[in-house]
Amino acid sequence: MSKTALNKRRKTAEIKWKSLEENKKPILFFGAATCGNAAGAQETIKAAKKTLKEIGVDADIIEVGCIGPCYLEPLMDIKPPGKPRICFSNVNEEKAEKIIKRFFLKDEIPKLGLVGHFGDNGDYGDDIPRFYDHPMIKPQVRIVLRNCGIIDPSEIDHYLARDGYVALESVLSKPWEETLDLIKQSGLRGRGGAGFPTWKKWKFCRDVESDQKYMICNADEGDPGAFMNRSLIEGDPHAVLEGLVIAAYTIGASKAYIYIRAEYPLAISRLEKAISQMEELGLIGENILGSGFNLEIKIKEGAGAFVCGEETALIASIEGNRGMPRTRPPFPAVAGLWGKPTIINNVETLGTIANIIRRGADWYTDFGTEACKGTKTFSLVGRVRRTGLIEVPMGTTLRKIIFDIGGGLFKPFKAVQTGGPSGGCLSEEFLDMPVDYENLAKVGSIMGSGGIIVLDKDTCVVDLAKYFLKFTQQESCGKCVPCRVGTRHLVNILEKITKGEGELSDLEKLEKLGESIKRSALCGLGQTAPNPVLSTLKYFRDEYLAHIIDKRCPAAVCRDLVVFRIIPEKCTGCQACVKVCPTGAITGPRSEPHNLDESKCIKCRACYEVCRFDAIAGDAIEIVSGEDKS
Amino acid sequence: MANNSKIKLTFNTREVEAPEGVTVLRAAELNDIYIPTLCSHKDLSPFGGCRLCIVEIEGMRGYPLSCSTIADDGMVVLTETEAIREIRTELVQLILSEHPSSCLICKEADECKPFTKTVRKSGVTTGCRYCPNDGQCELQDVVNYLGITELSYPVIYKEHEPERMDPFFDRDYNLCILCGRCIRMCQEVRGTSVLAFNFRGNKTRVGTAFGRNHIEAGCEFCGACINVCPTGALAEKASKWDGIPDGSVIATCPYCAIGCQLELFHKDGWFSKAVPVHDSEVNDGQACLKGRFCMGEVSHHFERARKPMARIDGYWKEQLWDEAIEKAAEKLKDLKPDEFAMLISPDCTNESLFTAQKFVRTVMQSNSIDSTARSSLGGGLPFWERMFQKPIKIQEIKKAKTILAIGLDTRFNFSIIGVEIRKAIKAGARLVTINSRRSNLAQYSHCWLQVEPATEGIMLDALVKSLFNNATDLKKELKLSGVKKEKLADALELLKGQDDLMVIVGPRIFSYTDNADLISSITELSKKDNVSIIPLYYGTNTRGAIDLGAFPEILPGAVFKGDEKTTKKLESAWKVKFPKDDGITIDKIQAGECRPKVLYLVGAVPFAQRPDCDYLIVQDIYEPDFDVDLYLPATSFLESSGTLVNMEGRVQDAPGVEKLPDSVMYGRARPDWWILSQIAKQLDVAGFDYESSDNVLDEISDLADGFPKSGRIHRKMDTLRVETVLPETVPVSAKPRKKSGFLLVMQPGGYSYRGVDITSKVEGLQILNPEEGFHLNSEDAKELGITEGEKLIVTAGDKSGTACARIEDEIPKGAIYLFKPLAFGGLKDRCDLEQLFRLETNPCPVEVKKVGV
Repeated sequence: MSKTALNKRRKTAEIKWKSLEENKKPILFFGAATCGNAAGAQETIKAAKKTLKEIGVDADIIEVGCIGPCYLEPLMDIKPPGKPRICFSNVNEEKAEKIIKRFFLKDEIPKLGLVGHFGDNGDYGDDIPRFYDHPMIKPQVRIVLRNCGIIDPSEIDHYLARDGYVALESVLSKPWEETLDLIKQSGLRGRGGAGFPTWKKWKFCRDVESDQKYMICNADEGDPGAFMNRSLIEGDPHAVLEGLVIAAYTIGASKAYIYIRAEYPLAISRLEKAISQMEELGLIGENILGSGFNLEIKIKEGAGAFVCGEETALIASIEGNRGMPRTRPPFPAVAGLWGKPTIINNVETLGTIANIIRRGADWYTDFGTEACKGTKTFSLVGRVRRTGLIEVPMGTTLRKIIFDIGGGLFKPFKAVQTGGPSGGCLSEEFLDMPVDYENLAKVGSIMGSGGIIVLDKDTCVVDLAKYFLKFTQQESCGKCVPCRVGTRHLVNILEKITKGEGELSDLEKLEKLGESIKRSALCGLGQTAPNPVLSTLKYFRDEYLAHIIDKRCPAAVCRDLVVFRIIPEKCTGCQACVKVCPTGAITGPRSEPHNLDESKCIKCRACYEVCRFDAIAGDAIEIVSGEDKS
Repeated sequence: MANNSKIKLTFNTREVEAPEGVTVLRAAELNDIYIPTLCSHKDLSPFGGCRLCIVEIEGMRGYPLSCSTIADDGMVVLTETEAIREIRTELVQLILSEHPSSCLICKEADECKPFTKTVRKSGVTTGCRYCPNDGQCELQDVVNYLGITELSYPVIYKEHEPERMDPFFDRDYNLCILCGRCIRMCQEVRGTSVLAFNFRGNKTRVGTAFGRNHIEAGCEFCGACINVCPTGALAEKASKWDGIPDGSVIATCPYCAIGCQLELFHKDGWFSKAVPVHDSEVNDGQACLKGRFCMGEVSHHFERARKPMARIDGYWKEQLWDEAIEKAAEKLKDLKPDEFAMLISPDCTNESLFTAQKFVRTVMQSNSIDSTARSSLGGGLPFWERMFQKPIKIQEIKKAKTILAIGLDTRFNFSIIGVEIRKAIKAGARLVTINSRRSNLAQYSHCWLQVEPATEGIMLDALVKSLFNNATDLKKELKLSGVKKEKLADALELLKGQDDLMVIVGPRIFSYTDNADLISSITELSKKDNVSIIPLYYGTNTRGAIDLGAFPEILPGAVFKGDEKTTKKLESAWKVKFPKDDGITIDKIQAGECRPKVLYLVGAVPFAQRPDCDYLIVQDIYEPDFDVDLYLPATSFLESSGTLVNMEGRVQDAPGVEKLPDSVMYGRARPDWWILSQIAKQLDVAGFDYESSDNVLDEISDLADGFPKSGRIHRKMDTLRVETVLPETVPVSAKPRKKSGFLLVMQPGGYSYRGVDITSKVEGLQILNPEEGFHLNSEDAKELGITEGEKLIVTAGDKSGTACARIEDEIPKGAIYLFKPLAFGGLKDRCDLEQLFRLETNPCPVEVKKVGV
C-alpha cells in the first residue's frame, strides 16, 4: 500500500471512529482481556446480550482490552447515543441484567457498581463522577496504555483513527539516523528490566555489517504476578507492532520475530489478527509504504520456560534448540539469531516508540526523572486494595503507587517486592523512594519488567524468599553451577529455617552463597536469583532471627512453627470445624466451645477457613506462633 | 585460525605469545599455564557452565570467562587472585555437593589404595572401588589444585538409576557434573545429536530425547562422549574398573581400511582400552564402535585358540610348535602347483601378506595365493587398482562443497566418513545421496534419491550422463531405478555448476551382480579432474594385499603378472625361478572348479562348511566351526607388530601392545610371517631368515615402491605408484528386472576380522547385531503376518534359507536384505543360509514365507 492509500484508509477509519463517538444506537463495551475473561466477562456479555434482546434494545457490543483496574472486573461500559461511556464495575450476570434494565427501561443511571463516565465535567451532572477522576486512574499517565480498554484491539481502523501508523509513516520517509537520534534524545531505556539505553543497543546492531539482521520482540513475560505485556498486546497489539516495524527499519532488519509464551493464547490470536491486517494494508511485507523497506514478522511461541525471557536463551529457543543462555560476548547485537546481528526489545519498549516519534522527544522527556525518562507500566498486585495494571511516570514514589493508586492495604503494610523473582523485597523505609532503575538497584532490588507485589503483616518474608527461590531454582536451565546447585542450597537452607531447624550460621551461609551466585552465574536469571533472599535478609533480618532463635514465625505462616487454637469465648460450638477436620483433632458437643488436640492437628487450615467463612460466629480459630503458643 | 599472526599477552607476570583469535584459555593452555576448567574442551565450542575458568583482565569489569573471551594483543590476565580463588572454591564446593565424593573424603583412601587391585564394584571396607575414574578424574585434579579437603555443603545424591542396558558403555549420571562436553561432542563434532540436556533446574540431566535407549536414539556408539567425560559418569563397560593404565602405544585400528590412529592403553601387561588419538591426521580424534570398543573382546575372548592343534588318528591333539611345523612341512612337500592353494585374509599385516605370497611363490612354486579381499572388490581388481591411483583423502571430505554418497550408511561402519560428511554439511556443503534403503545420512541429505534395490549404479550413471554429457533422455534409467523426474532434477540442481564434487561410494553396492553401470560411471567420474572419489571396501589391508601381490595375478609392487622387469627383480632377489601357472583363486574353490589337495587358510574362513580338500591347514586366531586337520595359532593385532596400508595408501604402524610369554594360560600364538617362515625353513628353502617383522618390512621396501624401511616412518599418502597395464574386465550390462514378489538383496557384512565375524565374540555387537537375519519393512512384515524375531524361509528356485525376521523401516517395501558375512568363523547359526549366499545373482527374486505356514 502506498502512503496515499494509507491516508485514504485513515480517513475512512476516522469516519468510522467518529460514528462510534457520535453513535446513533447505544454501545456496550466490555473489558474482555484475559483478566476480564477470568473474572467472568464472557458470561456477563452473554447475559447482557440476553437482557438487551429481552427488553428489545438494539445495541452494539464491543470487546475491548484491559483498562487497568483489575479488581473492578468484569467491567461494562454503556455508551448512550451521542454521550460518553459510563463505566460499571464487578458486573456479573445478575448485575448486568439489573443495570441494563434500569438504564434503558427506567432511563436512570444506576449507582450499582458505578465507577464513572469518560466525558468532561458536567456531561452527566454532578452525582456521576468522571472515570478519570477515580483515585486509581487520576495519578496515572497513560502513554503506552493510551488505547487499552478504549479501542477494539481487533480493529486496525480504531488504531488508525487514533493516529496509528503515523509514526511509521514518518520514520519510513526519513533516513534511519533521524529515528535513532530521536530515540536517543528521548532517553528511552529498555523496559525489559536492565534499562539499557534503547538507541545504544540499536546503534550497536546498526553498525555491524551483515547481509541479514533480525529484530525480536520479547513477549515471554514469565514473572509470577506480572501481566503488563500481556495486557498491552491484548488491548493494543498494533502499538507493539508499529514499534517493531520502526525498530526493524532503524536497525536494518528484514525479519522480525515475536517470541511470546504459549500461555497467552488470546494475546497470540490478537497478534496474528493484527499481523494479517498489516499484511492486508501493506504495512509489512515488501516495499512498505513505498519506502523500499521489507519486513517479515513471525510469531514464535515459547514452550513454557522462564529462562527463555533471557535474550540468548530466547534466541536459542527460536533456533529450535533448548532454551539455554550462552556466555556473552558476543552480544546478540553482534551475533544473535543464527549468528546474525539481532536486537531484542521488550513489548513495552516497542509500545512506547511510536508515541515518542509522533509527539517528539521533548514531550517524552517531560515525564520521568533526570536519568529515567517517560513512564513505566506496572502490574500492581498482592495485598493491596486496588490491584491492576497501571502506568506512571518514572520517579513516582512507591508510596504514591501503593497508597494513592493502590488505595493502601487491608492490613498493615510490611514490604513491597519489585521485579518479580529476580527482584528484592523492600521495607517501609523505602516507600518514599522515587522508582527508577538506579534507585531500585541501589537498594538491592530491580525494576524488572514491572511487577509490584505488595505484602502485609500476614506475609512471612522467609516463606516469600523461599517461594521465589524455589521458582528460580526450578526454572534454572541447569547450565551453570552457581545457579543450578547454588540456588538449590539456598532453598534447602531456607527450608530448614522455615521448619525451625535453622542456625545462626545459616544466615551467613545464605549471604555468602547468595553473593557468590550473583558474582559467578552465567545469565541474568542466576545473577539476580539470590535477590529475594539477600534483600529480605537485609531489611527483615529480625524475622529470620525470630525463626531461628525463637522458633517463631511472626506472620504465623510457616507451618512447622505455628499452632492452631480455638478461642473459647468466640466459639459458638457450631461443629463446622469438627466436620472438616480430617484427623479428628477437634472435638466437642454442639453449642459448647470445642477442643483442639494439638497432637493430632496436621495444620491443614481446614478448620481455620471454615470458621472464617462458614461458621455461625466466625473467627474463633487463631493461628499463633512462638511465644504466643503457650 | 586462518591467519597465522601472533599476539602478545601477559599472564600474571609472564609475557607469552598466542595465535590471533584464540580464547584466553587456549592461549594459556598453549603456554602451559594452568587455568582450571571442567566444561571447556579444545575441540568444542565454549560453554561457560562450570565457571571455573574465570580470570581477571585489566580493563574489564568482573570476572570474565577465559573460555569464551578472545585473547587480545596486550591483554593482562590474572589467573590466580585471592578473589578468583575464593569464587572457584565456592563453585567446586557446589559441584561436590552434587557429586558422590568418597574419593575425596574417605580417610582410609591412602592406606587402602595399595589394595585396590581387588576388583569390587560395591563399597567394602578395604579397597572399595567407588568410581571407575578414580585417579583419572578432572574434578579430582581441580580439587587438588584448589586444595579443598572439606566439604562445606551437604551432599545431595541425585538418585539417578545407573544406565547399563545399552551396549559398550555404562552411564551413571549421579557422577555427572553437567559440563555438557558429551552433548557438545555428540552435536558439534560427531554431528549426531543423540545426547541433549533433559529437564531443568536441579533435575537437569543428560540423556536422549524422550528417554529412549541409545540404540533407538541413533547412537553410533563411537565412544567420543566417554573420551571427553571429565568424571566417571560415562565409562566403557570392558575397561571401567581397570584403573590407571600403565602405559600406551599408538597403533592403527585393525578393523577397516580407514586406518584410524588409536592409542592402546595397557594395564598389567594386558590391553585395557583403545582411545582415538587426538589430532590424528586420518581420523581427527574420532573412532567408530569397532575400534573404540571391540578390541579387547576379540583378542581376549575365551574361545581364542592359542595352541597348535592337529588331527592325529581321529583325535584333536595339542602340538608343540616343532611338531606342528614338521607336520605342515610334511604335507606341503612335493605338491604340484595345482594341488595346493592358500587363501589369506586382507586383515593381515603387510609383513604377513608379503611372507605368505613369497612362501607360495618360492616354496610352493605356485601362484595359488589368493586374498579373500577379492570377494569384496566388486568390479574386479583392475578397477580397484585404478581407483587406488587417484588420491583418496578422507580429510578432504570436510572441505568439499558438494558430496554425492552412493549406497552409504555410516552409522556403524565407516562412521569416520559420516563424521566428515556432517562437518562438510555444517560448513555449507550440499549432500546428495543415492540409496535404496534409508541410511543414517538420509536425514542430512539435501536430496535423497531413493532407488529400487540394486539400481544405485543406474542412478549414478544417469547423474553422470546428465552432468557431464548433458544427456536429457533418461527415461530408461528413471524407470529402472524408480526415481521421479523431479527428484532427479532436484539432485542435478544441487550438483550442477559446482567446482568440486566429492563422490563417496559405500561398500555394499559393489556386490551386486549387475554393477556395470556403477563401475563404468565411477570410472568415468575418476577421469574428471574436479571429482574426488572415495570408494569404500571391507578388508583392512586390502591395499596392502594388492601392493604386495597376495593375488595370483599381481606381483609385489602392485604389478600385474607378466611384467618382465618386476619378475626379473623378484627372481634375482629371491634366487628362484618364478612360477608361471595361473594360480587357484577363491572363486574357483568356492565354485568347486578346483579341488586343491592341501588348502592353507591364513586368517581366511570364507566357508560356512569345510571346503573340499584332502588336508586343511588353518592359521588363525580362532578355530573355525568345521573340522580342520592342522590348526596353527596366529597372534592378534594386540599381540604382534606390523604395518597396514589404509585406503588412502598410507603405510601405518600397528605395534602390538601385549607381550605375553608362552604359557599354559597365554598359549603360544605366533605372527603369521613367523609361522610361514618356520615351515619354509623346515622345507629347506632359503630367504626366510626373518627375526622380526622389521626384517620383513625392510625386504618389502626393497621390492615394493612406496614402502618405508623399518624405523616407523609413515609413508606420505601422495607417493606416486607404479603404472600398471590393466586388462579390462567386462561387467554384465543392465537389464530390466521383474517386479513381482520379493527381491533378496545381499549385502556384504562389515564385521569380520581375519576368519572370524567379530559379532560372535563381542557382547555389545551381539546386542546391536546389525547383520543378523532377514531385514524387511514393517508393512511387508504385516502382510506376511510376522513379528520381529520370527523365523522366515526364503526360497529361490531350489535353494532356500531360514533365519529370523528383523523389521526395520529403513528397508524399502518389497525387498529382503540379507548380510553375507565375509568370514564365517563364529557364525554357526548362519550355516542355514549358505545356499542363499551361493545364489548366482544379487539381487535375486525370491519367495518369502513364515516358517511353519
